[in-house]
Amino acid sequence: MRSSLEEKSTVINKISTKGKMSNESFITLSMFVVLIVMIGLASIFVNNFFQIQNIINLVTNFWYLIVLGIGATYLLITGNFELSIGGTVAMTGVLSVYFCQAANVSQSELANGLGLPYGVAVALALLAALAIGAINALFVTKLKVASIVVTLGTMSLSRGIAKIVTLGAQRNTNLPDVFGAVGNIFVIGSLKLMIFIMLFIVIVAVVLEKKTVFGRRTYLIGANIKAAKLSGVKVEQHITILYLVSAFLAGVVGIILASEYISGTSSRVMGVEFDALVITLLGGTAIAGGFGSVIGTVIGALILAVIASSSTGLLLRPEWQFILKSLIVFIAIMAQRFALLKRKL
Amino acid sequence: MTVQKNTLKQLKGSTKRSWQHIIKGSYMYVLLFLTIVILSVVKLGDVRMFARGHFLNWEGSIVNLLRSAAPILTLVGGFTLIIISGQIDLSVGSGLTLNAVLYSLMVLNGFGFASSLLITLAIGAVLGFINGFLIAKLRIVAVIATLVTLSLYKGIARLIVPAGVSGIKSTEFLKMPEWINDYGREGILAGLPMSFFVSVAIIAILVIIKRKTILGKYAVAIGGNMEAAELSGINVVKIMWILYIIVGVLAALAGVARASYMSMGDPLTGDGMELDCLIAALLGGTDIWGGEGSVIKAVVGAMIIVCINTGLMTVMPPFWLMFIKGAVLVVTVAVYTLIKAKVEKQTK
Repeated sequence: MRSSLEEKSTVINKISTKGKMSNESFITLSMFVVLIVMIGLASIFVNNFFQIQNIINLVTNFWYLIVLGIGATYLLITGNFELSIGGTVAMTGVLSVYFCQAANVSQSELANGLGLPYGVAVALALLAALAIGAINALFVTKLKVASIVVTLGTMSLSRGIAKIVTLGAQRNTNLPDVFGAVGNIFVIGSLKLMIFIMLFIVIVAVVLEKKTVFGRRTYLIGANIKAAKLSGVKVEQHITILYLVSAFLAGVVGIILASEYISGTSSRVMGVEFDALVITLLGGTAIAGGFGSVIGTVIGALILAVIASSSTGLLLRPEWQFILKSLIVFIAIMAQRFALLKRKL
Repeated sequence: MTVQKNTLKQLKGSTKRSWQHIIKGSYMYVLLFLTIVILSVVKLGDVRMFARGHFLNWEGSIVNLLRSAAPILTLVGGFTLIIISGQIDLSVGSGLTLNAVLYSLMVLNGFGFASSLLITLAIGAVLGFINGFLIAKLRIVAVIATLVTLSLYKGIARLIVPAGVSGIKSTEFLKMPEWINDYGREGILAGLPMSFFVSVAIIAILVIIKRKTILGKYAVAIGGNMEAAELSGINVVKIMWILYIIVGVLAALAGVARASYMSMGDPLTGDGMELDCLIAALLGGTDIWGGEGSVIKAVVGAMIIVCINTGLMTVMPPFWLMFIKGAVLVVTVAVYTLIKAKVEKQTK
């Protein structure tokens, strides 16, 4: 399924060019230029685009996508897909609501929960998310199944659980007041707590990626899994950790989103797995692995945010987003390949 | 892979087959049988033998089942060929949707059956051509390329349908012609519609292509080892391109069947079809890394999926469907991988 050409080019990319900027920073920088150009274009053509509040909204509306994208980026750098994040978000949110709802208070099935304290409910929901991550890791590392197949399966499983628990609808009644707290804390002005959680996770992820052995091993696994094994990297353990972390991040996002809206919906963040893939690719992560960066993913998320915001501003039908996203991914892939080829010559 | 294994077997001259081999070769037939039995016997909250005899009733449910199975039966063979060649096509569902919408748009605006069918097939070929161009020519990884076209085709299909309408269908001013149901719904033989017989014919053709023609052998070779296939002079680009065009045309045909069955062009109709096809192919023992697989067994897998899709609703509330499908996929992959590992150990 991987084209050999791409693998070869990845290996070449990893050979550092002395004195010159590394290919990774080159791609990140060029995507940053693209972002600036797009903000400029949007400011010219879309009314009321260039306002402080709107620019802040760009980031705040997409905080969960950035968090989910980080897990997906790390996994994609090792050459593995993660398509189960959307389902995990929905499942964790729904489960946290279900565990927290008061027990035996109403005739309606959807109004009754288990009546657990909020802390216990959150812990159990996060355990469920970790279970999904563990299934992914087990299948990918032990059974050597293609990651796309497994994560498609767990995507169905997790969203299916969310649907079963909510009977295909949503749960939002008989919740304690503490449930809505986490998602609705305003820290500065209109900035909620999760924006700072997102920033914290981004900083941790960047440091992990650039400054630690863990980060370098991630790249090595993606660039050449055999060499990684031979040089003593515990590849299976590493990928297991990454899947667990990605599922945990999805779980955190699910709980915060459920808390923000004070409801658990089975259709929460439908299709976010595709968006996460889009932003990692926009950020320059190579599908064959071994190449990419968290900063790039954040920039990719901002590009997507600008597109979404300006297409709404231009009063385009929401269906346009499908087309725009696909065209932009295609252009990004081709442009990055072209840029890297030019550099090599 | 298959070729190597067969020659190995011949060299050793061993003909004995272990129980793992037998399970590997026939478990999906057993699974289909079990699915049908369970769905015809069990009813939610009322587990009584043969309480639901009507599931095994030709006039009612079986005709209905096979009629609604026509689109996936049309599609699954081509999809499996793609998997066998080591690639994947996730855009089949969106391709089906787009073609269903375009077909009903043409029919609604007074095109005849033959002309709208031909134009739809041509559009399907173009959609497959685009996939082939991205994957074979530009060498974008198949998963990404077809995810891109999945999103693209889906977006176009939804934009064609006017805002606020559920699909391309009869309105006050424009009526769907009487014959819209003829292809996908009206029975022509034993109550079964044209689309079902077409899908059977397509499966037969694909089986022949896979087993008897150069195209099929090359597809297996490419899936087994792409570089080796390229080095031994197979025109990989051309073969892959042809395979994607075949799947594109089949998706168009499935779209026509679906539009004719529903007598409208629903912009959501093909959502999740790629997952159904993938589960069907994997249930049929197709190797996801390519090189091994069987069209017939994938068709049996597709029948299991259809039984679950339509039969499950009568047994369980519909919101269980997604979980059951995911569970089927995960369990199948686990069981198949474990058995395959055992079989390979024995062959060595």
